[in-house]
Amino acid sequence: MIRACSASLAYEDQGRQVFACRDIDIDVRENEFLGILGPSGSGKSSLLYLLSGLKTPTSGQIQYDGADLSKLSDDERSRLRITEFGFVFQQPYLLGYLTALENVLVSTPKDQDTDSALDLLDRLGLGHKTHRHPHELSGGERQRVCVARALRGSPRVIFADEPTAALDHKNGLGVVQLLNRLRGSGSLVMVTHDPSMLDEADRVVKLADGVLDLS
Amino acid sequence: MKSLSDTAETNSPITPLPGDRKGVKRRKRILRPLAPSTYLLRNLGKTIPLTAVIVLAVTLVSGIIAMIDSIPYSIRTVYKYAREDIGITPRGDPSLLPGLVKDIEKNSPIPISRVIICRATSSMVRSIVGKWPFIMLGLKQEDMRFYAARQGTQSISGRYPTPGKAEALVSRPVAKNLGLKLGSTILKPDDIDNYSPVPVKVVGIAETDRWFMMDPIEYQRENYFPPIDDAMIFARDSAEQDKLDHWAVKRFKGQRPLVFAYFEIEKNTREMFATLYMILNVVIAALALVITFMMGMLMNIYQSQRLVEFGLLQAIGYTKKQLLRRVLAESVTVIFVGWVLGLALTYGLLRLASAVLMEPKAYALDVFDRQAYAYTIPIPLAILVVAIATVVLRFRRFDPVGVVERRLV
Repeated sequence: MIRACSASLAYEDQGRQVFACRDIDIDVRENEFLGILGPSGSGKSSLLYLLSGLKTPTSGQIQYDGADLSKLSDDERSRLRITEFGFVFQQPYLLGYLTALENVLVSTPKDQDTDSALDLLDRLGLGHKTHRHPHELSGGERQRVCVARALRGSPRVIFADEPTAALDHKNGLGVVQLLNRLRGSGSLVMVTHDPSMLDEADRVVKLADGVLDLS
Repeated sequence: MKSLSDTAETNSPITPLPGDRKGVKRRKRILRPLAPSTYLLRNLGKTIPLTAVIVLAVTLVSGIIAMIDSIPYSIRTVYKYAREDIGITPRGDPSLLPGLVKDIEKNSPIPISRVIICRATSSMVRSIVGKWPFIMLGLKQEDMRFYAARQGTQSISGRYPTPGKAEALVSRPVAKNLGLKLGSTILKPDDIDNYSPVPVKVVGIAETDRWFMMDPIEYQRENYFPPIDDAMIFARDSAEQDKLDHWAVKRFKGQRPLVFAYFEIEKNTREMFATLYMILNVVIAALALVITFMMGMLMNIYQSQRLVEFGLLQAIGYTKKQLLRRVLAESVTVIFVGWVLGLALTYGLLRLASAVLMEPKAYALDVFDRQAYAYTIPIPLAILVVAIATVVLRFRRFDPVGVVERRLV
């Protein structure tokens, strides 16, 4: 479904080329939970951004269903993200002036059916806080709203970038379990530095210094 | 499905809210999350100051223009009586008048309904910029009736002055302006501006919106110097008076008689205020520039505070164009609402000023002054251009990953 072919992401730092990811070859398969494990600074977030089309590789290719993502325009990549992908970021970013329910609806601009969104929040244990604003929710609750937003519309792939980073271990594990159990037939790609978060993963790859550790 | 969280309290998709009673469930109103109105209504702390600045700017500009406009508008209103006739004076040589009248009657390009031989003495009325010269017409009583009718008089409170007596008839605006009632003295020996050798009492007030005052021609002939009659010539059809005026001005150009035509009052007024309006344009342009700059800065600050929102939305798949359209819609809404409220506030303040300050003295103020309202149009347009340009420039270099990685928060 998603394939990275010798994908690299480099940037200039004081005239020197630095690689965030280097020659990455990896597949994301249908309906799998792929864990990407690595220490801080290993390039795992950069890899996630490459796979999701948020960044384009400086060399190599990222293919989605055989199509080279870098050949798509910015708008086409945006449309792909909103229709096919779901995202959970490190920080539980929510729009402060919207309620939990409205934040969930944001991810599906063409589907504003509130009943299904309410159902999703209910399944995430937030049925009683659907009309609360983010400042009225705890960190764990906010991240669960983010999970609901990512799950909404049954995306084909959910990308989770250290979704447990701002949570304690118990809450973090709960969020990962929710993501995994509610993703349906979609794939889940999650990067983390904590191996215990990937207990339910179908496959785990390790990243160090921007390079896949094949050992 | 069973809730996966042990914190869940209900499985109902409709959640009772605080304040719900007796199990009656109601759903809190959900707005379209990314509709411009949602952001604006939920962020009144930002929306109100932005709108208020536009409201005040629009009110300031339109209010200044309306007040300035009231001066030429007053001139046109006070001297509007001159639209009904062309006045002609032989400039110190009374022997010329019969010939002048004959000439006009014979050669006029349009039919004439009446020629009135009159006297005129000077008087004063009040305006927001001080005293303005006005004339007390000395007329025969039958001419007074004709003149009053021609000036749109509906009725007379009191009566017409008795021929030869020290009595006057004034129109309602003049009475208001000078604070006159029936029995008041309008001219008197010790009033340098409104002089008469004996006190002249108001015996009639004409109910019309035109400004005029008249007393018996016999009284003026007996009491005023120099002994020179003037003439007023009326077109048969009022609509053709202007044509007669233009003809007469051209006919006597360079000759001794002096011709008073309404179109010349208008022309002189325009010329008199041309320089003032030029200065005013520069001041308004500078004001609009300052307001636009200030608003642009304010909007820029507010948009900067929304970087996380823009970054998040772009990261999850909203295009830059969609976000730009949204910001544009929000800006247009705020600016349009501010502009409309500004116009409404101006209208309200002008009505108030008119009722409290102007109307009691019959000062003219056009509360529907289209020029004043039109002057405000560049303000919302300039603010919109600056606001959009600011956002476009920001979006061009904007990287959503910077936000979700917390590098740009």
